[in-house]
Amino acid sequence: MPLFEGLGSGGEKTAVVIDLGAAYTKCGFAGETGPRFIIPSEIQKPGQQQSIKVVQYNINTEELYSNLKEFIHMLYFRHLLVNPRDRRVVIIESILCPSHFRETLTKVFFKQFEVPSVLFAPSHLMAIMSLGINSGLVMDCGYTETLVLPVYECIPILPAWEALPLGGKAIHKELDGLLVEQCTVDSDSSTGQSLPTYIHIDPLMLFVLSCCPVRTCFISDLQRGLKIQEAKFNLGGTAERPTPPPDVDYPLDGEKILHIKGPIRDSVMEMLFEQDNEEKSVASLVLDALVKCPIDTRKALSENLVIIGGTAMLPGFLHRLLAEIRLLVEKPKYRDALATKSFRLHSPPAKPNCTAWLGGAIFGALQDILGSRSVSRDYYNQTGRIPDWCCLSSPPPESVYDAGKTPPPLMKRAFSTEK
Amino acid sequence: MASLLQPDRVLYLVHGEKKIRSSLSTLYFCRYCSELRSLECVSHEVDSHYCPSCLENMPSAEAKLKKNRCANCFDCPCCMHTLSTRATNIPAPLPDDPSKTAMKKAYYLACGFCRWTSRDVGMADKSVASGGWQEPDNPHTQRINKLIEYYQQLAQREKLERDRKKLARRRPYMPLAFSQHTIHVVEKYGLGTRLQRQRPGAPITSLAGLSLKEGEDQKEINIEPAQALDEVEPLPEDYYTRPINLPEVTSLRQRLLQPDFQPAGASQLHPKHKHLLIKRSLRCRKCEHNLMLYYFSVRIMSIPNLRFQKECQVLLTLTNPVESITHVTLVGCEEGDPEDINSTAKVMVPTKELVLAGKDAAADYDELAEPQDFQDDPDVVAFRKSNKIGFFIKVVPQREEDGDVTVSFKIRHDFRNLAAPIRPSEEDDAPTEAIWLTHHVELSLGPLVA
Repeated sequence: MPLFEGLGSGGEKTAVVIDLGAAYTKCGFAGETGPRFIIPSEIQKPGQQQSIKVVQYNINTEELYSNLKEFIHMLYFRHLLVNPRDRRVVIIESILCPSHFRETLTKVFFKQFEVPSVLFAPSHLMAIMSLGINSGLVMDCGYTETLVLPVYECIPILPAWEALPLGGKAIHKELDGLLVEQCTVDSDSSTGQSLPTYIHIDPLMLFVLSCCPVRTCFISDLQRGLKIQEAKFNLGGTAERPTPPPDVDYPLDGEKILHIKGPIRDSVMEMLFEQDNEEKSVASLVLDALVKCPIDTRKALSENLVIIGGTAMLPGFLHRLLAEIRLLVEKPKYRDALATKSFRLHSPPAKPNCTAWLGGAIFGALQDILGSRSVSRDYYNQTGRIPDWCCLSSPPPESVYDAGKTPPPLMKRAFSTEK
Repeated sequence: MASLLQPDRVLYLVHGEKKIRSSLSTLYFCRYCSELRSLECVSHEVDSHYCPSCLENMPSAEAKLKKNRCANCFDCPCCMHTLSTRATNIPAPLPDDPSKTAMKKAYYLACGFCRWTSRDVGMADKSVASGGWQEPDNPHTQRINKLIEYYQQLAQREKLERDRKKLARRRPYMPLAFSQHTIHVVEKYGLGTRLQRQRPGAPITSLAGLSLKEGEDQKEINIEPAQALDEVEPLPEDYYTRPINLPEVTSLRQRLLQPDFQPAGASQLHPKHKHLLIKRSLRCRKCEHNLMLYYFSVRIMSIPNLRFQKECQVLLTLTNPVESITHVTLVGCEEGDPEDINSTAKVMVPTKELVLAGKDAAADYDELAEPQDFQDDPDVVAFRKSNKIGFFIKVVPQREEDGDVTVSFKIRHDFRNLAAPIRPSEEDDAPTEAIWLTHHVELSLGPLVA
C-alpha cells in the first residue's frame, strides 16, 4: 500500500477514470476501489424542465459538443473537484461507440479542458482486468443494448461480437406500455385515473417511474418464467399462469399513488428471455458468440463468463441466465456445434455496473505504462484525430516520435531522452 | 446592465472563438488583453474547497486525503439533506462503581426533513459529538489492491521492454561509450547487466564498477485468478409471493449515492460524509492572467410605448465605476455591419461625447461639495447624478412583427489599466495610459404596442 494515498510513484497525480454510459456515468480516480459518483448522463439546461441526455448518437456535432462540454464541466467541477489540466483521463467505452461521438468527446477533452492525455479503454477488456484472469466471455447488459464480446488471452475476439437491443431502455418502454394499459392512479381528488394524464405534465414523474422496475420487478427462475411465457403467448389455451405476486401501491409523489398490478411485476422482465422470431434472447447471445469463436478457445471462454452492466443487477437475473444458457445448449442448434457444456460465472470484486470502471481504475493506476499507451495532447494536436480500432489510417504513436524515420513535415523534434 | 429577473435585456458581444452575446453579469474582463471574455473562452481551475453546510475551508491536501468530503457533516442517505447530531441522556453505569448508574450523553444522527435516524440502520449511539461516526469499508479493498500490485509488476516489465527496445534501436547511432541514460537504467533495475553481457562485443568498461545483481531475487507477486462459480443462488421461494414493503426498498438514487455497496434494503443505507464544493478561479486562455468582473454597464431606465415606424425616445443610464472621469461615445451600427444581425429597429444615438464624473465614495456624505459643471445638452442628457448619467436615444421600430424590438450600437470608452505593473521608463510617460475600448451592445426593448 502506498504510504501517501493519492500520490502515485514519481509524483504524478492519479488519473481520472470515466465510464460514460447511456443511462449513468461512473466517474472517479484510478487506484480506488469504486467510482466516487454514479450520476445520470444528463444535463439540465436553465429554463427547461426536461433534462437532456448526453450520450446521443444522432444529433449534430455542435449540439453534441456543447452537451458534452457542459457535462464534463459538471463532472470535473461539481463531482471530482480537480483541475482537468493536471490529470490523465481514462475513458471506458463500448467498442460499438460511433467514431463521430468519440472524436467529439476527444475534442472536448483536449481543446476545452486541455487534459494531458486520453486513453479509450474497451469496457469488456477492462472487466477481465478486474478479475485477474486472461480470458473470459464478457456480457455487458446496459441501457441501450446487451453486448457480448469474448476476450482470449487479453485480446478481444472482435469477429465474435453479438448484440441485441434488449436493455434498460427496452424494459422501461415495455413497462410504460403495460402501466398505461392496465394501471390506475389515485390522487386526492380522483381515483382510477389512467397514467398518461400525469406523465406528460411532470418530468419528475418520469424520473420516479424510472426507479419503478428496479424496486418492484424481478426475474423469475426458469420454470416459472417459462410458464409465464407460455401463458402469455397461448391466449385462451390451457397454459395457466403461475400465481402472480401481490400488487404494489407505488407513490408517484406526495399525493398520487400508482397501483401496479401484480402480474406486471414478474412478466415485464420476461422480454429479456423470450426468444423472438430469430430465436435470439439474451442467453442465446452467449452461445452464438461461442460458436463464432475458434474451437480451442471455447472451453476457456465458457468456463469464464463475466456479466457486467446495470441491467444485470436485477434480482434473479444471473440465476435465470445460467439456467437459460444450460437449457439452450441442449437445443439442436447448439448441441452439435458446441462440445463444451460447462458454464461458470465469475463474481467480480465490484457491483456489475461498476466492474468495467474498476478495470479502468486498475489500469489507470499503472503509471509506468499509462502514458505510453494513451493518446497525448501533442499527438492529437499534430494529427487532429484519435486512433480508432476500425480505422487503419491513423499513424501509431511510436512512429510519430521515431528519430530514425523521416518525420511528417509539421512535426518538430519530439524525441527526447528521458531523464 | 440588466435587472435581476430579466438578465438578457442588455447583451454585449464577445469576440472569442465563437461570437457570444450575453449579459454583463456573466462576462469577465481581462485587463492585460483588454478584452471581454465569456465563460466559454476562459479556463476554469479549482481554487479552494469548502463544505456547504459548515462553510469550513479545507486545504487541498486534506481534501484529497478525505476524498473531497467534510469530516464533520453527514448527508441523510434517504433524502440527502444535511444530518444534525442529537443528544439524549441514557443511564449508563459509572466506570468506577458499576452498581450506580448516572446519566450519560449519547449522540445519534437525525435528519430534520425525513426523520431518518442513525438508529434505523443499527448504528450505535456514540459518546462523542463528532468524530465517532465511521463509514463502512468496502470488503473488496484487499483483493483490488493485490490486483493493482500484480499489474504494476507487469507494467514495470513492459516498461523495461520498451526501454530496452529503444536502446536497441539507438545503438547504431550511439557512440561506443554508453550514455548516462543507459547506466542509469542499468543501475536502477539490475537486470541490465545480464542484458549487456549477452550481447557479444558490447563494451563493458563503464559497467565494471557495478556489482552483479543476478542473485537478487525480485519479489514476484503472483495473483490467484478469480474462481468462477458453477451455481448462482436463486431467489428465495417466498420472493414471488410476499408483498413488498416499498419504503424498505431503496430507490435508484439512494442506491447510487453509495457506489461501493448499492444496497437494496433501506436498513443498510449508511450516511456518507458531505461532499465539498469548490471555488473556481478563471484564467484568460491567451495571457494566463486572472480575470476581473467587467464593470462598465449600460442600463435601460424607461421605455415608452414602442409603435411601428414611430420614433420614440428611450432613456438609458450609464454608470461609471472608476474614480476618474470617463469619456463615452456612442456610435450607431453602419449598414452591413457583420456584427449587427439582431437589430429590428433603427436607432439614433447622441453624437456628442458624453462625460461621466468619477465615482466619489464620499460624495454622499459631503454636503458641501460643489456640483461639477458639465454643460449638458438637455436634448441628450436627461439627468446627471454623481457618476451616473441618463441620456436619450431615439428608436424607430422597423419591423412589424411579434417579438422584441432589438437595437444595437457600439459604445466606445476609455479605460485606464490601473493594475498594470509600473515599468520604469526612460521617457516621461504617464504611468497609466488610457486605451479606448469599443463594445458592441444589443438592447432588447420589449414588444411592439399596436
